[in-house]
Amino acid sequence: MLSPDQIRFVLPALLGLPVLAAIVLRFLGGSRAHRAAVAFAGTHLALTLLILLSGASAVQHDPAVSAKIDLAKKQAERVFAPQFVPGDPNPNGTGSYSTAWDLLTFHGPDANNPGGRVRLGAAQFFIGLDGLNIWLVALASFLMLPVVLFSADSVREREGPYYSWLFLLQAALLGVFLAFDILLFYVFFELTLVPLLFLIGGWGPGPNRREAARTLFLFTLAGGLITLLGVAGTVLFVHARTGELTFSIPRLADLVQAGMTRGSNGARDLWRDTQTYLFLALAVGFAVKIPLVPLHSWLPGAYAEAPTGVTVMLSSLLAKMGVFGLLRICLPICPDATLAVGMPLVGTLATIGIVYGALCAFAQTDLRRLVAYSSVSHLGFCVLAVVAFTPAGLAGGVLHMVNHGLSTGAMFLLVGILVRRYGTAQIADYSGMWTRLPAWTFFMMVACLASIGLPGLNNFVSEMLMLGGVYDVRSPYANGITYGVLAATGIFLSAWYTLTMVRRVLFGPVKEPPARTVVTDLTGRERTTVGPVIVLCLLLGVFAQPVLDVMYRDVARLAQVGDDARARAGN
Amino acid sequence: MSDFGALLWLIPALPLLGAVLAALFGATRGLKDWAHAPVVLTAALSCACAIAVAARLAGSTDPVTFAKSSNPDDRLHWFSVDSGTARLAADFVLSADHLAGTMLLAVTFIGFWIVVFSVGYMKGSPGFARYFAIVSLFLASMTLLVLADNFLLLFAGWEGVGLCSYLLVGYWHHKPSASDAARKAFLVTRLGDVGLIVGMFLLWLMAGRESMDYDEIFSVAAQMLADHPVMFPAACLLVLCGAVGKSAQIPLYVWLPDAMEGPTPVSALIHAATMVTAGVYLLARCAPLFVVVPGVQLTVATIGAATALLAAFIALTQHDLKRVLAYSTVSQIGFMFLAVGCAGPAVPALAVTAAIFHLFTHAFFKAVLFLSSGSVMHAMHDVIDMREFGGLRKVLPVTHWTFLAGALALAGIPLFSGFWSKDMILEATLEAGHAARFGSAYLVLFGIALATALMTAFYTFRAYYRTFWGELRMPEGAHPNEPWVMTLPLIVLGVGAVFAGILAEPFTHWFSNFLTTSPHLVRVSSGQTMDHHLNWPLMLASSAAALIGVGIAHYLYKSRPGAAEKIAEAAPTPYYLSLNKLYVDEIYTLLFVQPLELLAGMCRLVEAVVYDLARLIAMVPYYAGRGFRWAQNGLVQFYALAMVLMVAGLLGYFVLFAK
Repeated sequence: MLSPDQIRFVLPALLGLPVLAAIVLRFLGGSRAHRAAVAFAGTHLALTLLILLSGASAVQHDPAVSAKIDLAKKQAERVFAPQFVPGDPNPNGTGSYSTAWDLLTFHGPDANNPGGRVRLGAAQFFIGLDGLNIWLVALASFLMLPVVLFSADSVREREGPYYSWLFLLQAALLGVFLAFDILLFYVFFELTLVPLLFLIGGWGPGPNRREAARTLFLFTLAGGLITLLGVAGTVLFVHARTGELTFSIPRLADLVQAGMTRGSNGARDLWRDTQTYLFLALAVGFAVKIPLVPLHSWLPGAYAEAPTGVTVMLSSLLAKMGVFGLLRICLPICPDATLAVGMPLVGTLATIGIVYGALCAFAQTDLRRLVAYSSVSHLGFCVLAVVAFTPAGLAGGVLHMVNHGLSTGAMFLLVGILVRRYGTAQIADYSGMWTRLPAWTFFMMVACLASIGLPGLNNFVSEMLMLGGVYDVRSPYANGITYGVLAATGIFLSAWYTLTMVRRVLFGPVKEPPARTVVTDLTGRERTTVGPVIVLCLLLGVFAQPVLDVMYRDVARLAQVGDDARARAGN
Repeated sequence: MSDFGALLWLIPALPLLGAVLAALFGATRGLKDWAHAPVVLTAALSCACAIAVAARLAGSTDPVTFAKSSNPDDRLHWFSVDSGTARLAADFVLSADHLAGTMLLAVTFIGFWIVVFSVGYMKGSPGFARYFAIVSLFLASMTLLVLADNFLLLFAGWEGVGLCSYLLVGYWHHKPSASDAARKAFLVTRLGDVGLIVGMFLLWLMAGRESMDYDEIFSVAAQMLADHPVMFPAACLLVLCGAVGKSAQIPLYVWLPDAMEGPTPVSALIHAATMVTAGVYLLARCAPLFVVVPGVQLTVATIGAATALLAAFIALTQHDLKRVLAYSTVSQIGFMFLAVGCAGPAVPALAVTAAIFHLFTHAFFKAVLFLSSGSVMHAMHDVIDMREFGGLRKVLPVTHWTFLAGALALAGIPLFSGFWSKDMILEATLEAGHAARFGSAYLVLFGIALATALMTAFYTFRAYYRTFWGELRMPEGAHPNEPWVMTLPLIVLGVGAVFAGILAEPFTHWFSNFLTTSPHLVRVSSGQTMDHHLNWPLMLASSAAALIGVGIAHYLYKSRPGAAEKIAEAAPTPYYLSLNKLYVDEIYTLLFVQPLELLAGMCRLVEAVVYDLARLIAMVPYYAGRGFRWAQNGLVQFYALAMVLMVAGLLGYFVLFAK
């Protein structure tokens, strides 16, 4: 077990290790690359587990922070409290929730000393763990192992560069989840694009991979640039109003809170109006990444054309970056705007996405595209719960990011395993796989049942929490019941398209496409690839409370920000 | 009561353990054929625990609870999010009052005997271990559903039951018909479940976003109605949706007749002990909510009566023995809905007792009927069409007697169990008919129920005579045999079908006394109690209906073979309407399934259009660039000329037009 100071010391290694792996693997090839990649992924997972086990209780109860929430006053005084921040100026573990590691310092004229320059602020290397990101970091570390194991069988050319890009992608992802500096967040957010572009364009199995990669790149870049505008706007506006130039997300959120509660009415109105613009600008990039209907055109192509390992990364982790961005940046920095436009606009789009994605999923003839559209539907649910800005919604949303990552990841892996055997993902080519591949069927069945939200499996817990959060919205701008009813129809629709696919592919008399080699049921390596994911689906379905407990304090404080905004909105 | 509390959690945990063990046995080479052993054992133990709990309940009015702490923070959470403004929690809290205790007895006792029967029936079948694992999980889910103390835990059992029925109906997964039936069963019930989810959350919302516990929600029922005069009835109707789906009532009954694609003991399980009774249980459990809104109660009763009549009408002409029984289940559950729907206008204690009593006796006689038909099917080499066999009473003597016992009970012949419980339902309906509000409507429903009772007797004995009387006919490959593992459950359940009714209620009142001590029912009835008396005119009327029905069947299928065909020819329209199940499946396909599929297809089209639109937008810069390419031709003279022309144009504009 590590002490908090030791965790503080090793936390950057979570980012450093994948970067190191990326560099080393660039120069390896063949089976040595595979073995090295497995070793790196395994080491990373071990490190993450060590940090998780030692740090979870500190994230769950930090006495210094709990004291600062005054529930009687109903006022969140500190929105985020990142733990284990490397470069924390306060030594011996007390924690100042800030860092001293500047990356890009900004200077301005010194008022006291004409001609001199004084430090205004800096974009910092500010990373840390809190309840919102701890499980996503764990997921990003955990899923790397199945992805690498799967790739060992399917990637047959330029293995070294492939793994190199893959680990770079993981590093960028972890950076997004860990960052508490808005500029650092943005840099990592955009950095994911580069490896992705090369991975899809270079190793995709289909003929349309270049086209898919380009579409993905253009869509997300366009969205990302608007988000950059929002990021700059946030920093500059806060600087202009308060005189403090900061890139720290916790600090920005606190300043917004202060700005909304103090000062004259006119000043508060200005804060409120600006929030709306900032929210819209910030949300665009996230909405493309999630993706929110109607900005999802890049998704089916990218999911279907990417190599399976990358598809798993895309659906399980990259899509979560968008939701996480909403959670980490939009909600705390623009709480009033989240109530005023978040639910009516983003929530409505998300609800449309739930139904529309499900209907599209039903109409697909390709297994990968079906799972891709089901992702659109599930993530719509997730976004809806997050913008509802209620304790249950936020807790459910964070949990669902993890749960959906596991269940969809498992589904893509299993589809990949099937495609590896028969070379096609057309639903119509298959029938009666239960008779033909019983072990594969078992895993697929569990993944499908998890995905349709069966109690006892993971998605049910988060879906119920999200649904409760949506009903509980308590906003003058939106009627939670309408959204809740529509979201609940998504629960039926997901069963409809999933079980129809199960009926066609798993049930019925055997029909299989011509295979290149003798088709066998799951190999040992494939079992170790998918098995742990499936086991986690089951575990999280039954033992959800410990996971919720760890994240709860931070979720509650963020929800308190929402409640403060509700109080201001007069409801 | 901590010791009994421990027994309580064993009731669902034991079958769950059995399921896991069966699955493990199935995966082990040497133990594959012994997969039934842990399931039989755990089912027996679970039943023993249920009996112990019921015995403890008989002695007092307090429910037996497990892990129920008055402070919500001390409870064992499945998941819980608790903030100052809202609390959404699913706790592992079990509680058995007398209602749950009755259900537990029926579920575990009948379930155990069905498991025993399955040992003989499923012998040598591929997927033997899978079958027993799922059946055990089925029992675990159903007992969890009954024992749950809050809506979310109930829903866990509720969906677990749905999953198990899906897997069991689709047990022969290579058969397209079984696969379709499985999918249909899951989706149709899921449609109702969505209603239940929404209803649950609305109740949670109206009850102050505090708790999903029954007690918390039920105690504020009247307050909720006063505060939300529209939303509260809506929430009740949504909960009803869930019950309607699971219990196969109009309009969601279509899955149940198809569900007999599974192995026959599964049908017995679904129809008698688990699954379809869940909806009735839910309504009985939620009686505190329903009794305060008479309009909703009338809806419940109407749905019940209409389903009873419609299903009985369809059952009149079916050729498939199991299909007749399936529709009879739909019809009998309709009776139970009718009874529950009378709570309010009639004394709730009477109405709920009538429904649960019928559920109890029905569990016995429907289980024995299905298992007997399973025995027939086992002997007839998986043929179940009544046109293919006949006169089986000689070759399957035990099955004949047990089927007859079940048939007499189902038909409501006096003294047999179904008679007493059906009589109680009729009595409750008649009492509701005297109520000031909607009284006449309930009288109409009473009439429908009586007519249905006649039809029930007819189709039951039609099936009986066609199967067991007449000359001996058997399909090829038939090998009539009755191993003892199959006959023993038949005899036990057959005896139950005969005596469960007369022993438990009409003279001893054991059943109603046990059930109505439940604090739940006492509170709902708000001081009123049911009075025990034998309503002789009513009993005479229902006996007459049953005997007339049996008489017609006897006349048409025993004394005058061939007469039935003549009637069918004389009245083709009702005959074919009934034979083709009123074309409801076709109508649903046309009205709901196809439009939804069309909508999905349209969405796919929209996707293609949006994608191309995005590409079109992406082309704008490209073509714009091409459009202006000629201007960037690198000729300095051309640039100079263009500049001069532009300056001249601007100057001209300012000189001529600008003021």
